[in-house]
This record gives sequence, structure tokens and C-alpha cells, in this order.
Amino acid sequence: MGKQAMGNIAYNQLRRMDTLLYLLVYPQRPLLTTKTIELVGYDKLGAGQNATVAVMSYSGYDIADAIVMNKSSLDRGFGRCIVMKRYSVVLQKYENDTQDRILRLDRKGYGAKHMRILDDDGMASPWEIISPQDIYINKQSPAFTRGTRVPPSELPNIRYKSSKQTFKGPEGEYCVVDRVALYNDRHNNISIKFLIRHTRRPEVGDKFSSRHGQKGVCGTIIQQEDFPFSERGICPDLIMNPHGFPSRMTVGKMIELLGGKAGVSCGRFHYGSAFGEPSGHADTVEAMSEILVNKGFSYIGKDFLYSGITGCPLQAYIFMGPIYYQKLKHMVLDKMHARADGPRVLLTRQPTEGRARNGGLRVGEMERDCLIAYGASMLIFERLMISSDPFEVQVCRICGLLGYYNHHLKTGICSSCKKRDGMSTMKLPYACKLLIQELQSMNIVPRLKLAEA
Amino acid sequence: MDGGMSYQRFPKVKIREMKDDMVKFELRETDASVANALRRVMIAEVPTVAIDLVEIEVNSSVLNDEFIAHRLGLIPLTSDRAMSMRFSRDCDACDGDGQCEFCSVEFHLRAKCLTDQTLDVTSKDLYSSDHTVVPVEFSDPNDPGEQRGIIIVKLRRGQELRLRAIARKGIGKDHAKWSPAATVTFMYEPMIRINEDLMDTLSLEEKRTWIESSPTKVFDLDPVTQQVVVVEPELYTYDDEVIKKADAMGKSGLVEIEAKEDSFIFTVESTGAIKASQLVLNAIEILKQKLDAVRLSDDTVEADDQFGELGAHLRGG
Ligand SMILES: [Zn+2]
Ligand SMILES: [Zn+2]
Repeated sequence: MGKQAMGNIAYNQLRRMDTLLYLLVYPQRPLLTTKTIELVGYDKLGAGQNATVAVMSYSGYDIADAIVMNKSSLDRGFGRCIVMKRYSVVLQKYENDTQDRILRLDRKGYGAKHMRILDDDGMASPWEIISPQDIYINKQSPAFTRGTRVPPSELPNIRYKSSKQTFKGPEGEYCVVDRVALYNDRHNNISIKFLIRHTRRPEVGDKFSSRHGQKGVCGTIIQQEDFPFSERGICPDLIMNPHGFPSRMTVGKMIELLGGKAGVSCGRFHYGSAFGEPSGHADTVEAMSEILVNKGFSYIGKDFLYSGITGCPLQAYIFMGPIYYQKLKHMVLDKMHARADGPRVLLTRQPTEGRARNGGLRVGEMERDCLIAYGASMLIFERLMISSDPFEVQVCRICGLLGYYNHHLKTGICSSCKKRDGMSTMKLPYACKLLIQELQSMNIVPRLKLAEA
Repeated sequence: MDGGMSYQRFPKVKIREMKDDMVKFELRETDASVANALRRVMIAEVPTVAIDLVEIEVNSSVLNDEFIAHRLGLIPLTSDRAMSMRFSRDCDACDGDGQCEFCSVEFHLRAKCLTDQTLDVTSKDLYSSDHTVVPVEFSDPNDPGEQRGIIIVKLRRGQELRLRAIARKGIGKDHAKWSPAATVTFMYEPMIRINEDLMDTLSLEEKRTWIESSPTKVFDLDPVTQQVVVVEPELYTYDDEVIKKADAMGKSGLVEIEAKEDSFIFTVESTGAIKASQLVLNAIEILKQKLDAVRLSDDTVEADDQFGELGAHLRGG
């Protein structure tokens, strides 16, 4: 319901062309609502699902707000979502009257296997399965876009360079071209929009939340037969750790569980506002407890459960019932990232930053402090220099300035002393060499005084 | 294994209730581990047939292809043949592409809405190549005569759905769509002993409030003798409410409730893929096969390959 939750966003959601659209496959109406929710119509466009939650500890993968999920529930569609992403391509007009063009594809030759989803018009056709590196539009741009105007008759003669658009989606996933739309933008350029759809099932690391701000990531996914069950055959969809309650004091969530349980057992949607005063619309906890008792449950909402692993009864009664859970749009698939080797920044020769640039993970000041305190000097050396920006320099022992290496003479030379001897080869971070040179450009002379190692 | 104490027991089964889609039975003189193994096998390892591969020719409905494929997968198919079918992955007739008659069943669906009336595409529109594997039929409890299919998608005028689907054998462990069990659960049989002497000290009103304190109707008053009797011990959910009530009334020990540790009451509900009774029998069969796998390898050379240290351990190594 918040802006991070997935669900139905509007009745025209499947005809829209948003840059990014998150939808839930099976949204539900909350079992426990409020009058306001009904007045606003939030229950008409579901933003989550009523999950049966057991408040208990299980497997240790539920500590620190993580939740344990039932694999069979996921198989049946719990938390399944559709991610629609839009890719736009503009056919630009240039000042010399030239224009981008789309070419019919060449189905043979180099790179043809990444062009198989292209239609005869050079654009990806709808309903095709698209994989990473696939070309979704076979566009070409003129090589010269400025200078003398090229008369339209000579257009085919000017040179074009290829500017194919490749799809950079998640590897090994099943993405589909949902729709392709052509339109004119405000500069009267032809524009093509591709909507690419990806259906995802929840995985470890995906974020979920109840409506009480109790967010957590999926810690593990466990088979249904291993899940606890009651003698009625009820088995939870997810397990939440009870430590989430005391410090956060989300009493509303407990009321929701109670009200939801009463709601499913008597077949009525209850109101769950905080105060069940006579003037209000909310159902009181007492009223809900009464329904629970009438339906053969304990009045506090706790159930007697058996362990799915051993078949023995659990040591305690478990607080279990439906809670409306939302899937939030933060998913590991969009965030996971690892790098062994990769691109570096030109200026500093250090690894790039961020997932989009396939960057490295920074060993920051605090991490460095830990390693210093521990005394792991070789590790610091490796992280800060060898795995980052090692650089070999020639240092003059006489003047302390940096020299250069002469490949003909196969020796280092000091450019200020103009001498060959007295040169030492050493390794230092490229960033350090850069600092020395920047300081020199400001008329500060940093000199290196070398000692025998 | 040599010598040692034998733990062999001879469990007894008593069927209480048996319908096509539900059985209730007692399992006695055995351990929780056996009862639970049976339950787990019923949920996760009894094979059925379910749609596993969908080729969509035309889909102009409002639901996207994956959506429909997922819904098709979850439709229960009659799977009496599943136990003797092959898994596609170890089928040698089709080299594992899973499209031969030994390991798969083909379905076709063609639906187009030509009127202004919304067309419901249901599991009844799925045409099977094999009459033994068809979508499960179920009827409205209020109108048992009419058979209704499981709805797949709704079409408006002009929309069309045309597809080919391959159903394969599988188990619930791989995907819940292959699980034949809707509900499999058991409970320990409760032993309820009322302390009659203490109960006689209660007034009629007190007896009533005490009976009321149980959320389920376990106890009742005998209309003739006005004595508290246990009417339905199995309704007791081990909620301790009556014990707490007795304590609160100052009559501790009014009732003693104990779970019989070797008696289980099973409730098995099937999705309709196989009969509930067959589900239990198949589960026992699979459990036996699993045990045989361990026992056979006991003295074979392959045991070490297959079971590693476990095999050696079984031979007393
Ligand atoms: Zn020098
Ligand atoms: Zn085969």
C-alpha cells in the first residue's frame, strides 16, 4: 500500500507504458481492514496477500527480522510478481538533415544468434523471449551529424554506423517482450518503446513487509513437510520471529492476526482500527476472541502445533493466523553483485564503483581500522594496493623525486638529476603517484626518502 | 547388524471414515517418527501427473503466458497411473526430452470467445491424449449434479487461447503442483480422565461454566445423571483451557489429560488426483521402497558408492 509495495496499481495497469512497473500475480483483499481503507478504495486494488503467519523461531534463518517461507506456498503463487521495464529508443533527426534509421536484419553472419527475436522491421516482436545480449532494435546512426546539409536524395549514400540496442537483463532468467509501441515525441522524432516483462517468484533475500512497518527479508525457503502443522491441517505460509515484537510494540499486528483469524473462521471481513469504542466501527479484541472460541480456537489466537520434522508437538503454543503481507520492490535479483576483476577508473586506476559499472566493493575507513586493530597487515596491503591500483615507479635516491624507465637502456632515469644510477624501483598505489604529481603541479615538492627494507 | 535390542513393532491401522477425497484412520502401536514419515511421504513423495510444459500458440487473453502456464500446472489431473509411469528424466524411450507416451501426456486447449458473454475457459476445455489422465472433476456441493471445471481464464469477445501442454510425472518435493495431498495431518489421541469424586463437589452451574471453558465441545452434561461426560475426546486440541479453568476454580486435578504417545489419528484429504485411500497405500509403498534402498545396499559393493559412510555404518563398520 505504501509506495514500495507491489500489487494492482490501476485498472488500466496492463495497458500502461511505465518505465518500471511492479505487479503482483495474485493480489488479495486484506482480511482485516479499516473504514478508511474501504472509503479510499484500497481494498479494490490489492497490494499484498493474506499470509498465514506463525510467530515462532525456526531454523535460525529467521533472526534479525528475516522470515522463513513455505516453498509450497511459493509454488502455488504466494509473492509471485511481474516486473515490467520499458526500454525506449528514439530515431533522432540531426542538424544536417540526416536521421537514424532501422535496418532490416541480416539473419546470417556474425552476431545473428542475438538477432533472432528481431522481426522483419528490425524491431523485436512482441511475445518473444528475450535473453541478455539480445538485440531488440537494429538501429543505425549517421556517421556525420554536423556540418553541411545532406540533401535527402543523398541520404542513402552517407555512411551509417551501427547503434544496435542490446538487452542487459538478468542472466538465466525468462524475460518476454510484452509490447512494442511506436509514437512521436515532442520533437517529432519517431520513438519506439519496448515493454519487457519478467515474472519472478520470491527467493532468499527478497523483502516483505506487513502493514505495520515490520519489514524483513526472506531468510530461507523450506519445504512444506518440514513446516509445523496443526491437527486441523493448517500449515503457515511464513514464519516470523517473535523478537520482532517487544521493542517495536506493534500491537496492531497482533490484533490483525487475531482479527484475521476470526475473519477467516466466521467468513466476515473485520475492522481492525486500534480502538473498538462503541461509536467506532472497529471490532474489539474481545469480540474477535469470542468468535475464535466459537470456532474452536484458543481465545488468544495460539495453536497447538506439531513439528513437521519430528512429528512431535512443539514445546509452546504458537500464535498463528493470517496477516496481510506485502512484497516490496527491493529484490535481490536487482541488487546482487560480485566482482573478481573488472573495469577501472581512468584517472585513478582504481576499480569502479557501483553495481551498474560492475564495480568493486570498497574496503572503507572503518573496515581498514578493523584490520589495523587486528594486525592483519598483509591483508591491508593486499586490499589497499595489490587488489586496487598497484603501480611501479622509479624513485631517485638522491633527490627523492619520481623518474621514468627507459626501455632502450633498460634502466630508470631521474629527469631532474639527469642521472641513471641511484634509481630504485618500488611499488606504490597509483593514487599516491597521482597525489605526488598533483602536489608538484602546485609547486609543492614531495620527496621520497627511501630506507633499506 | 548384529544382536542388540529389536525395536520392531507391529502397527495397527483402523479406518474410521473413507470417502473418495478423504480418509480418517487410526494408527496405533507405533512411534511419532513412523507416523510423521508417513505424513511427509504423502505430502512430498507420492507421485502424480501435472502439466509441466506449455507451448502457447495464441494468447490474446488478459493473463500473460506465464500466468496461464502456472495456473495450468496447478490443475490436479487424475493420476492413478502415476505410480507405474516413468519420470521424464529417466525415461529411455525419449532420451529425456520427456515427450513420449511412457512419461508424458499431451493436452490441447482451444478456446475463442465469439459472443458478448464472457467465456470461462476451464479445466474441462483441456483435451487429453490419454483418457486415464484428465483434469479432476468436482461438483458444487450445493448442486452435485453439475460438474464444474477449474477456471483458467476468462475471455471477452474476440479473445482467444490456443495451447499445447505436456503433463509429466513428478513429486511434491519438486513442486507443490505434484502433491496429491490437500491436507495430511495427524494428532495424538488424547486420554481424558475425569476425577469423578472432585467433579461431584461442583455445582451444576460450575460444571456448566467448566464445560464452556473448552473452545471445542469435548465435554458435556449427561441430561439424565447431570454428570460431566467426555463426548468427543478427539475434539480436544491440547489447549489446556479446561485444566486452567479447573485451577482457577480451585479444583486442581479435576481432569487429567494425556497424549497417548503411540496412537495417532490421521486425516488425509486428497486433491482428487488419486483417491485418498490410494494416497495412503502409495505412501506406504514408497516408504517401503525407500527402506529397501537402504537394506538392499546393506551388503552390496555399490552401497559405498550410493550411501558412503552410511552404508559402511549399516554393515557395522
Ligand atoms: Zn634525482
Ligand atoms: Zn519418455
